[in-house]
Amino acid sequence: MRRFSWFNATSIALGFAFLYIPILLLVIYSFNESKLVTVWGGWSTKWYGSLLENEGILNAAWVTLRVAIVSSTLATILGTLAAVVLVRMGRFRGRTLFSGLIFAPLVMPEVITGLSMLLLFVALNMDRGFWTVVIAHATFSMCFAAVVVQARLYDFDKSVEEAAMDLGATPVKTFMEVTLPIIAPSVISAWLLSFTLSLDDLVIASFATGPGATTLPMKIYSQVRLGVTPEINAISTIMIGLVTIGVLVASYSTKRASQRQERELKAVDAGAK
Amino acid sequence: MSEAAVLGSSQTATSGPGQKSPVRTPAPQSGFAPWKDPSREPIVRFQNVVKRFGDFVAVKDCTLDIYEREFFALLGPSGCGKTTLLRMLAGFEKPTSGRIIVGGQDITDLAPYERPVNMMFQSYALFPHMTVEQNIGYGLKQDAMAKPLIEKRVEEAMTMLELNRFAKRKPHQLSGGQQQRVALARAIAKKPRIVLLDEPLGALDKRLRQQAQFELMRIQETTGTTFIIVTHDQEEAMTVSSRIAVMDHGEFRQVATPGDIYEAPNSRYVANFIGDVNLFEGKVVKVDGNFAEIDWGPGLARFKSLAPEGCTGDQQVWLTLRPEKIRIAFEKPSDASNAVPGKVVDVGYLGSISHYHVELGNGQRVKALRANSARTVERPISWEDNVWLEWPPETGIVVTR
Repeated sequence: MRRFSWFNATSIALGFAFLYIPILLLVIYSFNESKLVTVWGGWSTKWYGSLLENEGILNAAWVTLRVAIVSSTLATILGTLAAVVLVRMGRFRGRTLFSGLIFAPLVMPEVITGLSMLLLFVALNMDRGFWTVVIAHATFSMCFAAVVVQARLYDFDKSVEEAAMDLGATPVKTFMEVTLPIIAPSVISAWLLSFTLSLDDLVIASFATGPGATTLPMKIYSQVRLGVTPEINAISTIMIGLVTIGVLVASYSTKRASQRQERELKAVDAGAK
Repeated sequence: MSEAAVLGSSQTATSGPGQKSPVRTPAPQSGFAPWKDPSREPIVRFQNVVKRFGDFVAVKDCTLDIYEREFFALLGPSGCGKTTLLRMLAGFEKPTSGRIIVGGQDITDLAPYERPVNMMFQSYALFPHMTVEQNIGYGLKQDAMAKPLIEKRVEEAMTMLELNRFAKRKPHQLSGGQQQRVALARAIAKKPRIVLLDEPLGALDKRLRQQAQFELMRIQETTGTTFIIVTHDQEEAMTVSSRIAVMDHGEFRQVATPGDIYEAPNSRYVANFIGDVNLFEGKVVKVDGNFAEIDWGPGLARFKSLAPEGCTGDQQVWLTLRPEKIRIAFEKPSDASNAVPGKVVDVGYLGSISHYHVELGNGQRVKALRANSARTVERPISWEDNVWLEWPPETGIVVTR
């Protein structure tokens, strides 16, 4: 262990305080008895109760959940296919361009992604609503899914797939019975990551949505402009909880998968020696 | 190790009823030589196969016939094109030009899953999410075989390789030697016409590898399948195969039985690649019947040796001489055709045999080998001893390239 240093300790304390004090305050104030957000009136869970009667927020939450599930499923399928093509197809013409195009949206400002989506939907004369939000979310979270799955595919022995084909499995069968089960943990983390990305997106959803498809972040944002109520704190706390669980499960499953793989490799090495 | 115990007990398992003979005779002496019979159709035929990767030529115009029940070895240093040749047969690479014919059928354009060959991979490539049983049965399942039949065939393969007690284990719960046997069982479970082995024993340690070599030969013999093995280990190729193709830079240097490769190499490259060899550079000055006289330096007694085919004389040649063919003695042999004096500079005592490094008058060093057949010798050959090296004219091979 390194020696304790006041400088390091202070840096860490300041850093974490900067990151987490606002969130902590929000969580604490969601248990505030008082109707005024800035005045502490003792502990209470009554705002969680009143949430259940607020139809607007409940509707928005339901829309958000449906959008997140459908869009992350779409994104995972598309992202996995893209990753397989990038890693497995070797050096085809335009591969560099293709991989660049896949990953560009990762660094693209959300406003631009959102705006271009809006323009596309208008040009196609699509009624904006639930499905346009789903498409927009799937588009941007697909890149994240592709990155996650690609990482797993890179350290995957290609001869395992060759062995399946050698034994008589067609390429599709090989993918379904051999490749997919082996990369499954990364596909699951890709889905969870896409899910949380969709859950808390405000900007892109605002561009892509239409009447009747207000997502929770949009609802919260519009309510905040009329003044913060403790109900908003309560729903935000629930969202923080959901996102935290999603991220934890995703990183845990990735870590476990890589640990298991390492163990398998070690077993092979030990056996070989 | 448990490995050793398992493999050791396999000997008793094979010598059951229905087995030809518990004593194995190596292929070269067994009279098995379909390549000498012009009426035999080869099971595999490479026809002018070329493979280029960009500018790099991995395989240069290879033509080769392999016959049914052969244990054929592709031998060469890494990067010589042997694995590429094997992968083209399995269907993972497509030849740039040329055809590959298996059992009379042109398979050049068939996909890997349509070919009657199965491969054992260097990395074993076991399916990590399947049990040993499922791994072995995977190929049979692809043929839409009835379930009881699959179970029977898997059972057979597992029995043959002593894997029954590991049936329900996953690959990562097995040792390297066990994984290797699962990979072999999986490759033979479909009873393919040809089994391809890509450096199958490369990951095993020496002891285990020797046992596994005999296991491979046993499996090949009991199943009667054609095996094609890729290896860079010359001892392994000599041990297991009926014929060896020595490869270098994408070309076959010599295709022959292990015995011929060792005793009658066709070039310096082959002689050097297989075993130890002494090389004497010289010129053929006279051809007399089967024998040639070789001048290998001014003032040195000429060598007498078997003349290479089509030798006209006045040709640069190399005499290749295996160390164990040279006799080493204190006295000059009276009636020897080839005898050169020298001084011992190094002795290596290995128990069963001794190595001698002898420096000749012109500074060339020659390796000689002697079996220590007597327990004690009155006066052993030692450092700085002046000795004579002698060999009969038919023991050396003269090569022209």
